[in-house]
Amino acid sequence: MADSQDRKWGMVVDIDRCTGCNGCVVACQSENNIPNNLEEHFNQRRAIQWIRIERYWEGEYPNVKARFIPVMCQQCGNAPCEPVCPVYATYHNEEGLNVQVYNRCIGTRFCANGCPYHVRFFNFWEPEWPESLKNQLNPDVTVRSRGIMEKCSFCVQRIRRSTREGERDEVQVEDGDRALSPACVNACPTTALTFGDFNNDSSQVSMMKEEAMANRGKKEGRGYRLLDNLGTEANVIYLKKVDNSAGAVHGH
Amino acid sequence: MIPGDFQPQRPTSRQMVKLGVLGVVALGVFVAIVLGLTFHISAWLGQPVVFARSEGPDQPIAFPHTTHVQELGMDCTFCHRNVEKEAAASVPATGLCMTCHSAVGDDLDEIEKMRSLYEDGRSIHWVRVHRVPDHVHFVHEAHIRYFSEKDGIEPSQVCQTCHGDVKEMEKVKQVETLKMGDCVSCHKENSAPTDCATCHY
Ligand code: HEC
Ligand code: HEC
Ligand code: HEC
Ligand code: HEC
Ligand code: HEC
Repeated sequence: MADSQDRKWGMVVDIDRCTGCNGCVVACQSENNIPNNLEEHFNQRRAIQWIRIERYWEGEYPNVKARFIPVMCQQCGNAPCEPVCPVYATYHNEEGLNVQVYNRCIGTRFCANGCPYHVRFFNFWEPEWPESLKNQLNPDVTVRSRGIMEKCSFCVQRIRRSTREGERDEVQVEDGDRALSPACVNACPTTALTFGDFNNDSSQVSMMKEEAMANRGKKEGRGYRLLDNLGTEANVIYLKKVDNSAGAVHGH
Repeated sequence: MIPGDFQPQRPTSRQMVKLGVLGVVALGVFVAIVLGLTFHISAWLGQPVVFARSEGPDQPIAFPHTTHVQELGMDCTFCHRNVEKEAAASVPATGLCMTCHSAVGDDLDEIEKMRSLYEDGRSIHWVRVHRVPDHVHFVHEAHIRYFSEKDGIEPSQVCQTCHGDVKEMEKVKQVETLKMGDCVSCHKENSAPTDCATCHY
């Protein structure tokens, strides 16, 4: 654990590569013991999805385009959810993660109201799985009970396990290692998601971040953060869509 | 008595009944509070300390650590094979016991019980003695590695910090409370991580 203190986890999401396949969503559900969302849960706006694909339509029929944005907890450097918790169940750790301590949580839901990204979820029910899925629960992840808040953890259990096993086997855990990366990153077929250490200058995420943020605001700069004007200092960087066909009417 | 002076009224019988009922209710509330407090305090202090059992649970096969560790000199890691490698120490499969017990211990009831289970291909359902709640993630490997390196001792000598002297136990029981306070105070002494996300996720 000694060297872990100076790590800062972050993610880069390349919207241009996202095809909206929802693979990340499924991977996340099964990695993190998230109960199955039924139709009525969506209708009640009570579905739990640590990562979701937001879908937007652009243009008028027949020239419509679907746009997809994967949204997960942005692990804000200046998180609006943290100061409102009366029991310090959510806080920022040394590795830049916004941690949710389930057993500390008393379910006030203030944090969810504070979060501008809608990525915090309240357990309105005791979680349930069909009999056939009970044995696939991940033992490294707590099963959250009714009445508490939960959210994306950047798969902290994978970070912990790979770091520990790296120390045991005396190997350095590299960024991009499948054992380290969150389930969504591993599942993405088009590598739209990249995970790693922002404090390590030679990591892929750092280089992507630097390149993306260097030309910010200019035409060629693709990097942006969601709702950056709120000053949340999110640790998830988005790369906007490259649209060569902008304005052109064409048929495929 | 001067007329117009204050005169204490004797309570009517109706009021007496009311007072009586109030007294009984108050007594009930008091008893409830005392019972509640006792329950909470004993639950908080937890396992082996106060009212809880001083003895470990009965196991399906009365396996004595004494015989195997003291008399036969077996190492803890021979049976608890994963303790140096993984989060869970693991309890051995019956097959490991049978390497000896297919030959050793004829006529002993417990051994015969084990053999018949083994022949039926059934496993022994050992009763778990130590268990942290689901929201806590304990890892044996890191602890064994750290302390055997730091103190220059065998891995099997580290166990007693948390499990007491198992080799003296006919029946394994929990001797340390293993509450969060125990974990964190040792972590502080050894400058191990105390970030909540080390143990809770
Ligand atoms: C011959 C194999 C064997 C050896 C050697 C052995 N154990 Fe065990 N141990 C077992 C078995 C089988 C159980 C499960 C039955 C029980 O709890 O009594 C067990 C249970 C335990 C438990 C309780 C697990 C729980 O459920 O919480 C602890 C603690 C433990 N052993 C520690 C030790 C220590 C420390 C040593 C070395 C001094 C040791 N064991 C040596 C076989 C062994
Ligand atoms: C290294 C060989 C060896 C292994 C492995 C071993 N045992 Fe034994 N066990 C012995 C010996 C020797 C005795 C003493 C037999 C006697 O007293 O006649 C014994 C005694 C016992 C007894 C006590 C019987 C009694 O009533 O006194 C039990 C129960 C037992 N073993 C269960 C187990 C279990 C369960 C395992 C697997 C976790 C196991 N043993 C693994 C060698 C072994
Ligand atoms: C730092 C304290 C600590 C030390 C040192 C320690 N244990 Fe444990 N042990 C625990 C705790 C806590 C649990 C309960 C774990 C759980 O519920 O996940 C446990 C559980 C166990 C279990 C039963 C569950 C399992 O993980 O398979 C066995 C067997 C066991 N320990 C054996 C050992 C042996 C053998 C050693 C020495 C090599 C050892 N322990 C050293 C704290 C410790
Ligand atoms: C006797 C002292 C001691 C006790 C008791 C103790 N720990 Fe530890 N623990 C340590 C030390 C020292 C380390 C650091 C090991 C290292 O640096 O590799 C550690 C590391 C850890 C780690 C981090 C492993 C990793 O690198 O991912 C976890 C998790 C942990 N302990 C959980 C617990 C829990 C849960 C308890 C209580 C049931 C507990 N510990 C009790 C001394 C202790
Ligand atoms: C070294 C490991 C460790 C660390 C670090 C740790 N805890 Fe714990 N925590 C535990 C253990 C073990 C328990 C279970 C105690 C028990 O058996 O009831 C626990 C229990 C709890 C409980 C009680 C839950 C309940 O249902 O009774 C709360 C609340 C809690 N922890 C909050 C925190 C917070 C907040 C932090 C960070 C400041 C933290 N913990 C850090 C090990 C740890």
